[in-house]
Amino acid sequence: MENFVYIALFAPFASSMFAALFGMSPRQTFVGVIASLLLFTSFLASASLAFYVWTTGNIVHVTMMDWISAGDLSIPFGFLVDQVSVTMMTVVTLVSTVVHIYSIGYMDHDKSFNRFFSYLSAFVFSMMILVMSDNFAGLFIGWEGVGVCSWLLIGFWYHKADQSREDNPSISPSWAANEAFIMNRIADLGMLVGLFILYWNTGSLQYDVVFAALPDLSGSVLNAAAIALFIGAMGKSAQFPLHTWLTDAMEGPTPVSALIHAATMVTAGVFLVIRANPLFSVTPEVSFFIAALGTFVAFFAASMALVNRDLKRIIAFSTLSQLGYMFAAAGLGAYWIALFHLAAHAFFKALLFLGAGNVMHAMHDELDIFKMGGLKKAMRGTYIYMGLASLALAGIPFFAGFFSKDAIIETAWNEGTIVLWAILVITAGMTAFYSFRQVFLTFHGKARYDESTLHPHEMYKFVLVAMSPLALLAVVAGFGMGSFEHFITKLLPAYHMSEHTHHIAWLLGLIVLVVAVGGIVLAYKKYGNGLKRDEKCENSFIYKLLANQYYIPQLYEEVITKPYAMLSEHMWKDVDMKIVDTTVDGIAKFLYKSGDGARKMQTGNLSNYLNWMAVGAVLLLVVAAISAMFV
Amino acid sequence: MDNMLSILVFFPAIAGLLGFVVNKESARAYGITVAAIEFILSIWLWFSFDTSNAGMQFVEMIPLIPDFGIGYYLGVDGISLFIIIMATLMTLIGMISMSITENIKNMIITLLFLEMTMVGVFVSLDAILFYVFWELSLVPMLYIIGAWGGPLRIYASVKFFLYTFMGSLIMLVGMLFVAYVYHNLTGVWSFAITDWYTLVLPVDYQLWLFAAFFVGFAIKVPMFPFHTWLPYAHGQAPTIGSVILAAVLLKMGTYGFVRFSLPMFPDASVLAITPIAIIAIIMIIYTAMVAYAQKDIKQVIAYSSVSHMGIIMLGIFAMNAEGIGGSVFQMLSHGIVSGALFMLVGMIYDRRHTKMMDEFGGLASVMPKYAVIFGIMLMASVGLPLTIGFVGEFLVLLGFYEISPIMTILAGTSIIIGAIYMLALYKKTFFGPVTNEANKVLKDLNATETWSLIPLVAIVIWLGVYPKPVLGPIDNSVKAMLAFMDEKAITVEAKDIIRTAKTKIIIEEVK
Repeated sequence: MENFVYIALFAPFASSMFAALFGMSPRQTFVGVIASLLLFTSFLASASLAFYVWTTGNIVHVTMMDWISAGDLSIPFGFLVDQVSVTMMTVVTLVSTVVHIYSIGYMDHDKSFNRFFSYLSAFVFSMMILVMSDNFAGLFIGWEGVGVCSWLLIGFWYHKADQSREDNPSISPSWAANEAFIMNRIADLGMLVGLFILYWNTGSLQYDVVFAALPDLSGSVLNAAAIALFIGAMGKSAQFPLHTWLTDAMEGPTPVSALIHAATMVTAGVFLVIRANPLFSVTPEVSFFIAALGTFVAFFAASMALVNRDLKRIIAFSTLSQLGYMFAAAGLGAYWIALFHLAAHAFFKALLFLGAGNVMHAMHDELDIFKMGGLKKAMRGTYIYMGLASLALAGIPFFAGFFSKDAIIETAWNEGTIVLWAILVITAGMTAFYSFRQVFLTFHGKARYDESTLHPHEMYKFVLVAMSPLALLAVVAGFGMGSFEHFITKLLPAYHMSEHTHHIAWLLGLIVLVVAVGGIVLAYKKYGNGLKRDEKCENSFIYKLLANQYYIPQLYEEVITKPYAMLSEHMWKDVDMKIVDTTVDGIAKFLYKSGDGARKMQTGNLSNYLNWMAVGAVLLLVVAAISAMFV
Repeated sequence: MDNMLSILVFFPAIAGLLGFVVNKESARAYGITVAAIEFILSIWLWFSFDTSNAGMQFVEMIPLIPDFGIGYYLGVDGISLFIIIMATLMTLIGMISMSITENIKNMIITLLFLEMTMVGVFVSLDAILFYVFWELSLVPMLYIIGAWGGPLRIYASVKFFLYTFMGSLIMLVGMLFVAYVYHNLTGVWSFAITDWYTLVLPVDYQLWLFAAFFVGFAIKVPMFPFHTWLPYAHGQAPTIGSVILAAVLLKMGTYGFVRFSLPMFPDASVLAITPIAIIAIIMIIYTAMVAYAQKDIKQVIAYSSVSHMGIIMLGIFAMNAEGIGGSVFQMLSHGIVSGALFMLVGMIYDRRHTKMMDEFGGLASVMPKYAVIFGIMLMASVGLPLTIGFVGEFLVLLGFYEISPIMTILAGTSIIIGAIYMLALYKKTFFGPVTNEANKVLKDLNATETWSLIPLVAIVIWLGVYPKPVLGPIDNSVKAMLAFMDEKAITVEAKDIIRTAKTKIIIEEVK
């Protein structure tokens, strides 16, 4: 089985290196094909491992070599394939393979085709390190690695110029890339601190050693470690207040949004909480905070999605919202449910994004859903895919999202956190509304673009075929929930609904369903037959507030970015140049001037010298007298 | 070979002398050959080095002035070994990539002399010898900045010389005083550092002496607020000058702390932790902000150097093997990365004769190779895992966390603000549309440039993925030093804070 571990891990690396060889040469289709094949190999290896773990219940643990050892610290490159990581590996490689094949079609006309595959595979490699590592430091390698790949891929079209925030809320791809990287770095500092706390209190960064040592630690240490690690998770998973980068990240090519900013990388934070569940289980306050923040973000992000006009941004907000759901589950102790929602979400959200990519491809990169409409006819396949994905996202029975999301909402009820439950239910309704608002505005009604110049056409057939596994999983994944629970709870703590909750589960499910269907119906009423602009509503304060993301990006710019730049300027021009350096030069000048002044003593005139000698003698006498007084 | 270190020190100098008779056209080839041989010698040193022994190796001792205990005393341990290799490597690579054609012969000879002084500083085990090499290193650098520098070169070079010279004079006074105390206690004179290590000094003596050495080292590092010579020196120096200055000369200061201050004055060092950490944090945050405000690419790198040296200073005073080992490793990492970055800036300067960021934009599409290598060095500079920059920074922060979590978090902001100024630089220079006509015809890196950078890229990744061959010997010697400091410390506080590792270490002095 060891070989499978290495194949799963290094096939994406080989793919990245192979594509990099052609990074500066013109587009070569075979680069994309070979990259996809290598990714598929990685998927097969991951699936075999999953099968092995599933059937035997054994876990595979390999240590490749030492990485850093200094003092008493010793960090190996070690990889762990257990129920949690093998789930992640399978999901990641499956979605990646689909996205790679998709990209052959989507990036068809891009001159940096080869470079794109190099970055994309490098991302998968980093993600695999992240999920497979057997220690926190290795996780951090992957953590930063996916950050860099995300930076490279968001800024993939780096040649685009900066625009004003009014024209383009993300300013430019390179701006968005930097924003994402820096914001993640803020969280990474938290994560590093978490590592330091664990190391100095347990003497190791290996998961097994750390978790075994947890019972001996004091409550404050545990809380500090949990908070620090969660700050790390907040950055990668774009939780409030570090969320603004995710929607700006939509500047990247759409396959990137599907893979990185929906299905895999952004779920790394959730993965961390699940992976470190022994720690979070013993810090109930921190866990509750995670659940509360997750619930808040679920609602907060969904509210912004209600009014957005940008196809990709709507899906990005919905990703944010679903990440909130996952954190809510993890924070409430239902780790396996969080992981299940993570997997289900990966399938339908990737599908949704790839569908959006098809639409963009057809509409020549138009993103404004107010300028679409009626695409149903021209793009039947995409319409079906996006419809299915939206049904899954909205939690309609018996699609994947129905099982996973419903379980999360049920958990909130079961834990007695009625407020969280209520918010999550309302959010489910909002989710259904914005998902179908987008579907209707895009595909239904009359065309709102200039039909004389734009002739939308369906994506290549092989692309649609490549997307089919995701569509299939979006539909049926939910039925695997029972066996998944059986499989995963060998490692993760089982979560049981109380007798009472179990009893009224049908009612709870029904409430969610009614709310969700209500959302869809509302969306249909408003947008089912095309767009009817409501000026009054669009000019209302709430609408503007939501459309401008609660003015948070502007706030960050005014409160953080600009003052930082100004302060830096002052530090340089006023403090460094005027105070520090002027003092140094001042001392030098003083020495020079005093030397210059003292030169006047050297007149060559004997009587002058005698005068100075007398002055000196008097001074010496005074010094002698003073020192005599003290002795 | 018995006289390995002497050969290593004096080979470049002798070759430099012979260089006077080499004709002008072949001076460059001659210089590169000499530097290459010197580099191979230093690699040989590494292979002959016993990595399991934490003590001084290849020791040579010839008494020079026996009455005063001044001797020709050389040796290397894990801490100095790799700094020497880095010095020879950066000299070689700097020379290969050098674009200067004017007075090339003088430049080559100067560089070879500079190489002698650099290696000399790191192998000297006699304080006077150390001091001689330390001061001699100023002369070639003064000449390099003064003769090949920019418009303000005279001001910059004089400032560099006088400032660091003043610091080292105070250090010299400290050295003389240590020798004097040694004579008082033992009745014999000695300037051998290993003899000085055995001195157990009262805390007030330690504090004064620590302060005297501090001034010398701090200006060299340079620590805030003694850093303002550095932006001028870098701003005016030719590329090769900046490369050597950033990669090697600054390391003399931090090396001095490890070689002198810590083992000789353990109690004073422990008392100095908080003040030094505060200065280090100011260096890290303040200069990173100043770097962000710069308009000139080279100045950004110059200020970022100060910021990274702050990390190194912090690690040295972590008083545990993780922190100090990380610091020494970070010295190498910073040497390679900032050296490479200065070379990269030099390459664009050669093409456009400007280093201002707003003159550029969109270079990634015009010069893709250049952009890739710059990108890798940028990532190493911001401490990305699996690059050389991460290992040192991580260990330093990890180590210092044991001393003070709060200060570690403040220092840790370096991973954020470091990313801010570097990414802003990269965006302004490489991203966006190509707006300036002059940039549209820029040529990508040529073969010489590429091949002088590739080895550095390889090292950046190799030591990021597998730092063990280098980190191991460093760690060994650092552990030995800590064990020794702990034993020697006289105050309880110091004994508490100095943390010795659990593993056993072998220390013996070998020829």
